[in-house]
Amino acid sequence: MNATSAYIRSALFLLTALVLHMALFSDLRVLGVAPEVPLAIAVTAGLVGGPERGAIAGFAIGLGIDLYLPTLFGLSALIYTVWGYSVGLLEERIFRSAWWINVLVTAAATAGGLLIYAVLGELLGQANLYTDRLYVVMGVAAAYNLVLSLPLLGLWRWSWPRLLGEEL
Amino acid sequence: MAAGTRTGRSRFTLIFLLLSSATLLTLDARDFEPLQRTEETLTDLISPLQSGADRVLGPVGDAWAGVTGYDELEAENQKLRDELQQLEGQQILDSDAAVRLEALLDQVGLPYVQDIPNVVGEVVTANVGNFDRYSVQINRGSQDGIRNGMPVVTRGGLIGRIDGDPGRGHSRVTLLTDPSFEVGVLAVGTDDVALASGTGHGGPLTVTKGLEIDTEVAIGQEVVTSGVDRSRYPPGIPIGTVTNIDFDEARLVQLLTVEPSANTDNLSFVTVLLYDPLAEES
Repeated sequence: MNATSAYIRSALFLLTALVLHMALFSDLRVLGVAPEVPLAIAVTAGLVGGPERGAIAGFAIGLGIDLYLPTLFGLSALIYTVWGYSVGLLEERIFRSAWWINVLVTAAATAGGLLIYAVLGELLGQANLYTDRLYVVMGVAAAYNLVLSLPLLGLWRWSWPRLLGEEL
Repeated sequence: MAAGTRTGRSRFTLIFLLLSSATLLTLDARDFEPLQRTEETLTDLISPLQSGADRVLGPVGDAWAGVTGYDELEAENQKLRDELQQLEGQQILDSDAAVRLEALLDQVGLPYVQDIPNVVGEVVTANVGNFDRYSVQINRGSQDGIRNGMPVVTRGGLIGRIDGDPGRGHSRVTLLTDPSFEVGVLAVGTDDVALASGTGHGGPLTVTKGLEIDTEVAIGQEVVTSGVDRSRYPPGIPIGTVTNIDFDEARLVQLLTVEPSANTDNLSFVTVLLYDPLAEES
């Protein structure tokens, strides 16, 4: 598989994930909380592809979802970039992951990412982010993303089938 | 060596992406027009895909809402049954609630809302994230005459306002449940203009300013937009009914709890009133 085909697959995956998130996953709410698919995409990209691809995937999906959020354009992109990169770096240097570690990391990173999003958003003047409800959102979204992580990890491996030791 | 090069490249990529995000944040905070136009174009490009996916997958979301919201639905059914009984009782006294409302509005000299030009829009995106419970996106925009701040209503009354400059074919509506949403109101039959604000998802509106302590207000009384000088809302749009009255003895004002008359959950179509207070004034 050449680099172009890998990039096309990744772009298709990201676009499909964005559309599915808006049309389906955002409606599948428990306690009023929807899965955080874009954040899970960034984190799983970091776990499968390493820091650089995690950062790029996080930036791209973050920009996509920012188009539809009332918060400042670029806020999700900023946080998902950092998160994709950090998780990728941790995976490379510490976890060397078993599948179940990847699943747990996705859940924990989801909760952490939402907390950072709310705190940074409030610091940038966005209202109603850091509220009493935040911890419910973090818990439910983390549980949701724990379930979603396995298919997402599989889909990233499909997008980048021969990653180890190979530069795209 | 190769690993070192890769680490250097990934750090460079990270810095580049962070700077790009920070630039976008800054430009958006400063309402940089070319960026807004680019956002609109991208949204318009994705919109057909999203509408198609919505049509196909919408029933799945509805079914999920039916399953997970069963208790809520049951409670709502009970509430509706109670309201129906009340309405049946009311009907004995007054055969047509709409005529009654019109009569009340006429009494305080408010023009009828439907005289204002309007555009019906479909809600295309509602709550895509977990932090945007107070806004929806509709498929009508500047090409339909929509401008920032215009009131948005449904049959039940006011549900919000257009937030920010709309795109050519879409715009964002901030719902009146948003805690930062404020609207000038008056209780029908009184002259005191007061300020109502949202209290969050599913919550009532509260009136905490402007209603003097000696103004006669009763539970069940209708509350409408005041439409006072330069208000962004025309007068007479139903807001809700008073469900609780309290008094702030220190400030000598009444504190009202107002149950919104329009439901802001599961919106499908809304009407944007093409109302420009400055044009009306001139």
